[in-house]
Amino acid sequence: MRAVIKIIGWVFFVVFLLWTIFPVFWMLSSSLKVEVNMFTIPPKWLFKPSLINFRNLGRDFGIWRYIKNSLVAAGTTTVIALVFGSMAGYGLSRGRKNAAKKQIAFWMITTRMAPVVGVIVPLYMLFKFFGVVGKLPALIIAYTTFNLPFAVWLMKAFFDDLPKEIEDAAMVDGCSKFKAFFVVGLPMVKPGLVAVATLCFMFAWNDYGFAVVFTSGPTQTLPVATARLMTEFGIVWGQAMTLGTILLSPVLVIGILIRKHLVHGLTFGAV
Amino acid sequence: MNKTAVLGKKVRLTTEFYMILPAVTILAVITLFPFFYTIWLSLMSYPMIQLSEVKFIGLGNWLKMLRDPNVRTYWWVTIKFACSALAIEVVLGLTVALFLSKLKLFQDLLTTIIIAPVFFAPVLVGLIGKFIYDDSFGIYTYFFHSLGLFTDKSLFGTTATALPILVGLDVWEWTPLIVLIFLAGLKSLPSTPFEAASLDGANEWNMLWRLTFPMLKPVLFVALIIRTMDILRYFDVFLVTTRGGPANSTKIMSIGIYDAAFQAYRMGYAATLTLTMLFLTIILGNLFVKFFLTEKGGA
Repeated sequence: MRAVIKIIGWVFFVVFLLWTIFPVFWMLSSSLKVEVNMFTIPPKWLFKPSLINFRNLGRDFGIWRYIKNSLVAAGTTTVIALVFGSMAGYGLSRGRKNAAKKQIAFWMITTRMAPVVGVIVPLYMLFKFFGVVGKLPALIIAYTTFNLPFAVWLMKAFFDDLPKEIEDAAMVDGCSKFKAFFVVGLPMVKPGLVAVATLCFMFAWNDYGFAVVFTSGPTQTLPVATARLMTEFGIVWGQAMTLGTILLSPVLVIGILIRKHLVHGLTFGAV
Repeated sequence: MNKTAVLGKKVRLTTEFYMILPAVTILAVITLFPFFYTIWLSLMSYPMIQLSEVKFIGLGNWLKMLRDPNVRTYWWVTIKFACSALAIEVVLGLTVALFLSKLKLFQDLLTTIIIAPVFFAPVLVGLIGKFIYDDSFGIYTYFFHSLGLFTDKSLFGTTATALPILVGLDVWEWTPLIVLIFLAGLKSLPSTPFEAASLDGANEWNMLWRLTFPMLKPVLFVALIIRTMDILRYFDVFLVTTRGGPANSTKIMSIGIYDAAFQAYRMGYAATLTLTMLFLTIILGNLFVKFFLTEKGGA
């Protein structure tokens, strides 16, 4: 009986595993196919890999511009979120707990949870008024609306888990509160900082909703460029899957590196 | 308490105040101000393409929303989508987590492999969905056809299949996160109750239902809140696959608002619909903070 359950469990899991990784495999393999091999039914499982899609993207599509835009937008919002978020997170975590701090924490989490479309509508009107629609700073501001509260909330959770005694000792030795934060607190939450930075970067790097409204032509980011392949020129599937691979690779790598903190971060410190 | 201690406390408070201040100021400008602007906007008739027609209409948008049958459709689709995705993700995620937690070898490796979908940009999930469910060359369409299923139908183009396919894509991307959440929950369970139960001769099935599942309730709560919030939050997949079609069968609230704002350019009405979604978010946020207060002892 036990053996039967065990076998059923493994069969179930292997099916789940295949179902989970198949689309990943299919995207990667499609990015290495030439057009002729892509649409054959039944599908071609063995084929001669080709880098032609990558070459086309680099030469004709001008992919570097989109990568640069994505890096600038995601990188800047990550730095802003990390600097102000770690400071505020520390401030919320330390000292006396009061009603104001609780209200701020609540405000942070609801802001982070707000639907994308709920933020786009008013920001679009305001950006229109200031004439920044289509410019990268608009996008950076939009990303900061969710990354900064995320960083504040999560850094607070990381600081809450630290023992306060070391900082107290530093302050007894004549360290100011801010210096204690900078010299003692921050180095101790380094894994937390890395995790928050990675996730902030990922949320911005992967965003499409904001970018499709707030960027145009020369400021488009990688996800917008990827989606554009499917409307303007019909669907150039080989390049779309290749762009998808390029979009996924960096966040997959850094994401797996921080996987120990992934669940903590994605559940806002609840698990 | 001596004087320096009192003084020390006072200095400490102000330092914290100044540390919180920059983040709060930035957020007040970029989120609080837009929020109040949304409320004001919801009281206006604001056709973006005819700015001369902009006027204050009080609760006009709100009354219109209550009578709008489309709004009911959007909510109904949202609820259908959310409930089916959440139910499948929780059952599937819990089962996989239970399986993985029993593994001694390869647990870490297999967990790492299955979390790959979590890192996909939602827009990419939509794109891949379009690719694998394409009517002529999609590989999943081919699998279905080989099994004799849906041979005469377009999967994204039929009202009966479009929403289930989108649910499937959501389940594909986010079940791994649920697995991670439950796995973390299973690992943090205390061992004493299980030892006591097995001394009393309870079998594994009983322990699962009487001990494991009840003790996982807080973790389940977190998983549900986080996923509900994400489902309300993102609409990228819908935007690049069906855009709400065919015949509004996949028009979730977010797409409805997006269309009101950027197709019809009725910003006032879009703002009104937005506020109803934000209201839901505030309720979810409240529940989440309550969880922190009860489970973790202090938000």
